[in-house]
Amino acid sequence: MATITINDIPVKVKNGITILKACESIGVKIPTLCFIEEINEIGFCRICVVEVEGEQDLVSACNTEVTNGMVVKTDSKLVLDSRANTLKLLASKHKFNCWTCPKDGECEFYDLLKTYDVVFDEFGPGIGRGTEVIPGSGISMDQSKCILCKRCVAVCKEVVTAKVLKFRDDDGMNPFVSPTVGLSFDETGCLFCGECVKVCPTGTLHETDHARKVEAMLRDPSKFVIVQAAPSVRASIGEVFGYVVGTPVKEIEGKMYKAFKLLGFDNITDVNWAADLTVMEEGTELIDRLQNGGKLPMFTSCCPSWVRYTELYKPEYIENLSSAKSPHMMQGSLIKHYYAPKYLKKDPREVFVVSVMPCTSKKYEIERPEMESDGVRDVDAVLTVRELAKMIKRKGINFRHLEDYVPVSPLAKFTGAGTIFGASGGVMEASLRTVSEILTKEPLEPIDYKFIMGSTLEYSKGVIKEATVTIAGNKLNIAVVNGGVALKEMYRRIDEGKKQYHFIEFMACSGGCVNGGGMPIVYDLPAHEVIVKRSDALYTQDQQDLPLRKSHENKTVLKAYEEFLGKPGSEVSHKHCHTTYSQKEYRNE
Amino acid sequence: MTTESLDVNKLFEKWILDADTKMDEIDLVLKIKEYLESQHPEICGKCTPCRDGVVRIETLLDKYVDGTATLKTLKELESLVYNLRASRCSVGLDIGKNIEVVLENNYHVLYKPVKKY
Repeated sequence: MATITINDIPVKVKNGITILKACESIGVKIPTLCFIEEINEIGFCRICVVEVEGEQDLVSACNTEVTNGMVVKTDSKLVLDSRANTLKLLASKHKFNCWTCPKDGECEFYDLLKTYDVVFDEFGPGIGRGTEVIPGSGISMDQSKCILCKRCVAVCKEVVTAKVLKFRDDDGMNPFVSPTVGLSFDETGCLFCGECVKVCPTGTLHETDHARKVEAMLRDPSKFVIVQAAPSVRASIGEVFGYVVGTPVKEIEGKMYKAFKLLGFDNITDVNWAADLTVMEEGTELIDRLQNGGKLPMFTSCCPSWVRYTELYKPEYIENLSSAKSPHMMQGSLIKHYYAPKYLKKDPREVFVVSVMPCTSKKYEIERPEMESDGVRDVDAVLTVRELAKMIKRKGINFRHLEDYVPVSPLAKFTGAGTIFGASGGVMEASLRTVSEILTKEPLEPIDYKFIMGSTLEYSKGVIKEATVTIAGNKLNIAVVNGGVALKEMYRRIDEGKKQYHFIEFMACSGGCVNGGGMPIVYDLPAHEVIVKRSDALYTQDQQDLPLRKSHENKTVLKAYEEFLGKPGSEVSHKHCHTTYSQKEYRNE
Repeated sequence: MTTESLDVNKLFEKWILDADTKMDEIDLVLKIKEYLESQHPEICGKCTPCRDGVVRIETLLDKYVDGTATLKTLKELESLVYNLRASRCSVGLDIGKNIEVVLENNYHVLYKPVKKY
């Protein structure tokens, strides 16, 4: 133990912790900008500086360890002036067009400027370090807003392990952050997972905007706009409007549907429905592979970042990917070719399908050339939860006071298996509920996962959970993997070949879709707590609110098979619900 | 370190040891600017006070050269120089301390030309 004095208060703290941690332990908050715990503790921004007695200069609190007898001052005039001056310097090279900024009220940099009352006398807010806007189908980068905190670089390297974004300081006076110079994100090895977007303290990295396109389509009378919301959207959209993280889904869901209605969508469906459909298709594929000696282990294909990871970095495993499309692409295709012509009497070409997703990668997915049937794109636009929230605000809708609404479409009826798709482990559990019942005619015992990596949900390390389940006499080795580091580790395990895996659920973001790159940003809770609370909200809906919990009991899905698809894995279902993958090239430095 | 920057460092040693210089305003400003420019290759670009601060100090000195400096310019200059104490490594810290010495010894030279009202 070390005894230190923080603002004249003597404190006993553990040896080896940083000043920042020591201050947090007694409730003294030190502002940070570049800091992410355990991932980016580099002391670049110099916002967290404090005065230490005996030191000539100011020291950064985030990466200076405490020593016995240290006397720390966190709010002396010197410290406050220094913070204000540093912020002023950063602001002098930041483009302030906050009203159009995609960060929309969640900007940490703006909040700091406000907190420290930064006054501009001799030089004012700047025009930006660079003028370049780096395009990409999922995420884009506006370099005029970059404050060089290097958070995105750290996350891309440590959490996602893609190492696409780099800090380029050949010219120390004008450094910048970018993917390979001169390339768009699509040409690099970027997975579009959006982790960098979530950690960016400004609006530099942002999801590629689809909201304008959607609003234009909503105004266009010749277009019939159908919306579909992903499972995890209902677990998080409330947070933007003041609900606490983990608010039960039943409080939010009805309001969400009502908001869609008020926004002017012509028809409301739910991706949970297609999640049930995915279980049918993917489950049938798994049974087929098990019985007829197909390629094992089978990987789930719901996460486009993960599919891209395999196509880019591990093409030898492409055949292991389930050929089923991700749920919203399936539903998009079925809306256009089954639901709209049959129930709404609309031509597929006049229907415009909008997905609301927790994910920036889905924006990339809809651009994939494979994702069309009969020359009609499956899904036309993808909104992230943040974009949807912005649209709701722009329309002047008071979300908290909305009445609940229940959509009438058959494609909005779902079971508990569909709703847990949003949480890590959900795809696996939903599939096994169905596979087990089809094969054994008996319900599945609850699965107990054994944690292999990360016994709790760790944002920085990801999770590998394994279990062995016995279905119809077959012992299946299953695994649930999420987070970039865990993806690599799992591939290492498969390469090693010590254990024959049968079915593996992969997701690129730690915690699955509930922690996706398009979700609202929560500052006052650590990432792993957010993941747990949002997952709990989804599982509660599955366990308490929904009468049916198995996908094959979903009557509307069965009806769709009866009326259109035939049976799981049929030719029609292959046309609309399955896709192909191919090796992708990327340019490295 | 280039020979040019060595010369400039010698100049600063002289300033620190002699504690008085007979340079007039423009000469002093140009010498500081020259010194700052010689430090550019040393700057790594990682921390804000040094990377952006040095550039800002240079633009403030330009105001002296143009004759548009005011009291606010001098005040801003002081605070930015002092803010270099928050730098991450000794490159920024040394630049800050060297210029602090200049300000201490030659404050009157920089104070004289500014427009007070």
